[in-house]
Amino acid sequence: MTPRRSLLSLSVGCALALGLVAPVAAQNAHEAPSLAQRVGRGELPPLAQRIGSQPEVITPLERVGTYGGRLRFGLRGSSDHNHILRVVGPQGLVRWDQQYTRIVPNVARSFEVSDDARVFTFHLRQGMRWSDGTPFTADDVLFNMEDVVLAGALAPTPPRYRAGGQNVRVEKLDAHTVRFTFAEPYGDFLAELASPLGQHPVLYAKHYCSQFLPKYNPNVADLVRAANAADWQNLFMARCGDIEIPSRWGNPERPTLDPWVVREPYVGGATRVVMVRNPYFWQVDTAGNQLPYIDELFAPIAQDVQSLVLEAIAGRIDFQIRHLDAPSNRPVLAQNRDRGGYRFVEASSVGGTNMVINLNLTHRDPEWRRLFNTRDFRVALSLGMDRKAVIETALLGEGEPWQNGPFENHPNFHRRLATQYLDYNQAEANRLLDGLGLRRGPDGIRLLPSGKPLRFKVDVIPTLQPEQVDMLQLISQQWRRIGVAMDVNPLERTFFYQRTSEGNEHDAAVWGGQASWVPGEIPQQIVPVHHDSRWGIPWVQWYRSGGAQGEEPPASVRERMRLYDQARATVDPDARRALMIRVADIAAEEFEVFSVSKALPTYGIVSTGLGNVPQAMPSSWYYPTPAPTLPQAWFWATPQRGR
Amino acid sequence: MLLAFIVRRILWTVPFLIAVSLVSFALIQAPPGDYLTSFAATLAASGDEVDQGRLEALRERYGLDQPFLVQYWRWISGVLQGDFGISFEWQQPVANLIWERMGLSVCLALGTLLFTWAVAFPVGIYSAVRKYSIGDYVATTFGFIGLATPNFLIALVLMYIGVIYFGSDVSGLFSEEYQNAPWSWGKVLDLLAHLWIPVIILGTSSSASLIRIMRANLLDELHKPYVVTARAKGLSEFTLLMRYPVRLALNPFVSTIGWAFPQLISGAVITAFVLSLPTSGPLLLQALLAQDMYLAGAFILLLCSLTVVGMLVSDILLALIDPRVRYQ
Repeated sequence: MTPRRSLLSLSVGCALALGLVAPVAAQNAHEAPSLAQRVGRGELPPLAQRIGSQPEVITPLERVGTYGGRLRFGLRGSSDHNHILRVVGPQGLVRWDQQYTRIVPNVARSFEVSDDARVFTFHLRQGMRWSDGTPFTADDVLFNMEDVVLAGALAPTPPRYRAGGQNVRVEKLDAHTVRFTFAEPYGDFLAELASPLGQHPVLYAKHYCSQFLPKYNPNVADLVRAANAADWQNLFMARCGDIEIPSRWGNPERPTLDPWVVREPYVGGATRVVMVRNPYFWQVDTAGNQLPYIDELFAPIAQDVQSLVLEAIAGRIDFQIRHLDAPSNRPVLAQNRDRGGYRFVEASSVGGTNMVINLNLTHRDPEWRRLFNTRDFRVALSLGMDRKAVIETALLGEGEPWQNGPFENHPNFHRRLATQYLDYNQAEANRLLDGLGLRRGPDGIRLLPSGKPLRFKVDVIPTLQPEQVDMLQLISQQWRRIGVAMDVNPLERTFFYQRTSEGNEHDAAVWGGQASWVPGEIPQQIVPVHHDSRWGIPWVQWYRSGGAQGEEPPASVRERMRLYDQARATVDPDARRALMIRVADIAAEEFEVFSVSKALPTYGIVSTGLGNVPQAMPSSWYYPTPAPTLPQAWFWATPQRGR
Repeated sequence: MLLAFIVRRILWTVPFLIAVSLVSFALIQAPPGDYLTSFAATLAASGDEVDQGRLEALRERYGLDQPFLVQYWRWISGVLQGDFGISFEWQQPVANLIWERMGLSVCLALGTLLFTWAVAFPVGIYSAVRKYSIGDYVATTFGFIGLATPNFLIALVLMYIGVIYFGSDVSGLFSEEYQNAPWSWGKVLDLLAHLWIPVIILGTSSSASLIRIMRANLLDELHKPYVVTARAKGLSEFTLLMRYPVRLALNPFVSTIGWAFPQLISGAVITAFVLSLPTSGPLLLQALLAQDMYLAGAFILLLCSLTVVGMLVSDILLALIDPRVRYQ
């Protein structure tokens, strides 16, 4: 069996790392003392039976660890379920490696991709089990795909399981082999599976979750009544959850493949979440010790971010990036490093920028639409921004002028797209605007052809990244000097979504633009395919509905959509990269969006006593931080504080 | 007479509750967007992406694309049968979520009420009787500080002091080992050991205002002729004070019972939020922020009903202790 890893690896030369999959001598395996005691009491089968003959062997980052302790991180009381997901990890068939460059097997022992990137074969691990001890087999994958995802039982089948307008076909070759066949080439499929949203093929345990499906349980109505649920879908979601809804962490009975399983659930009104080691977890270290090292995840729920900062200072948080990494928290966290017993951990930006300005190229008013679609106008606005001044003032000097896209050290770096029109040049900006016939009115503000003043609003959510508002205010002053009046329009977040992504009522809007255009990531600032592409929402609708809704985009956008689809179909990384660069070429030529500064890393905290935690980790939802750094292999190198 | 008064008041509550349910549902619907837009926005704030197709499917399933009256009817007809619906966020029946937290909310509200009375009653009387004495000035100063400082700010300052200078955590209502433990004497003692902090924080401003009210009311009474008459007849100063002017000045205390009922639910939402108290306040705030419609709706409906009931109770009590109210 030879996985086609040379094709899949984004960085050539690390292909041999897959040697990890070698069978381990299970009789040499070791387990946590608490589990050994339970085996001794006869409550659990011996380790070898629990992990099967083909557990994944993890090479620890620094060294083989020791068992014990708890990992504490802070949760917020509402909509913070994805924080648990990020720490526990989306245990899908495949995952990203720690560097976020290569896709490696995860729940699957290995995989093969056909040359035309249509057929994906996954080999599962012999003897692997769900957290309740039931064997995990190809039947579980079939249940997830056929009975839940492809049947559209809970939601329409996500596009990631479709290609060429047809659903994927899933077959069981034997108890430990499954094959996914697409109608058309689909090179990005593995990256889709590696992202947190791609866990569906192995999310639900058939033996448990099938009881909530009418197909398997004709008496499901009784269960619905007993649980006081609205219908069987509601009951299914309440008991088995979904990838990113809170109830995924709300049912301690649900069997999972995760390193830790829920003991005290995340439910409305909970004050903490506690997860304990999964005795059947399927990874061991190089010395044969079953992972995880750390006994317990312990997440107190604080309603308020400021209470989280206090918890960190008091040394009651062992690892946290989310919520704490706002630049405004850095001084107080830095000052209390010794008291709290933590160090900083860098959440490296994958590339791009934290604020992209999207003029609405599909504006409802034809006059504004014409103006925003004039390339020279956008160039003038870009040249009219004094980026260095904005960085000095609003970003406290931390930044570097940048337009869009990956950094210099990334294979997808596109110099022109990233660095064109960066220099502050008021005279040239004025010359361009004069050339467009935009005369200045009596107050110095230019006038549109209809005689209306050139005054538009930029929508922003002030609570998302507070510095965006400061940046926009400075830019507004700078644009005033070239005769352009821009008003900052802070909006409540749902109103923002409604006005921009749904209603297309905005003049312009800003949004984060971290991007490296790797598979699985949506390049929404160079091709409008996502509701965060606020520069052409009707085009997004056109693309997503296959032309049924929205507006047909201009040729250059259609060409990019075609290239993007082609890139998603391509399995060879170099060919895929070449296609994405062509998309970027066109985007650079069109120059639709512009920005101010590179996205700089943010900093979270990690307890100094924790071993095997890297100094820096990529910060991305698609990765998702910190799961691929394998928290299950972190351990307490020095005794834990605060216990 | 009293019975007719009570019956009349109860009958009035019915149309009032219907109006309240309509208004509260309209209020929940008033902000732009719905649960799913706020869900997407909250996740985006942490850098997470939402599956767009799933959002749209959920919107349809929850009926969020229906017109207002259809949604209202669905909700209220369920409520009349005792079914408050499902919380979108937690996929749990709303009723379970609300009752889970009510016990501690009741405990906290009662504790705060008792604390407020215990402080305000003696201090208020003292500062009225000994007007412009040192003690009165001290009480007045504290009263003004208590009134002027928002409770949540006191909470934040106390938390900061606790962490920085004492290395201890003043938030929450239980120690770690008791948080999810079944009830026992140890747990009750642990609760009492934690309860006094939020009780004091929550009680400061209401005691401060009650002290001022008590003082002002009593001052009005103290110089009335009947007091002079009673004193001239040789009644001891303490008996005199307690038997007549204090009884009259007591009305505001009884009125506070009316406020105490809704406090069971809303109970100083922000303070409870800051202190991470396991009471219903933070859940209400979250439900509103997340636009978790049925959960928020049930809370607001309960809140309004309790206000109505609370007012009814305090009106009846007032009528009992003060004949003037009855005869109007």
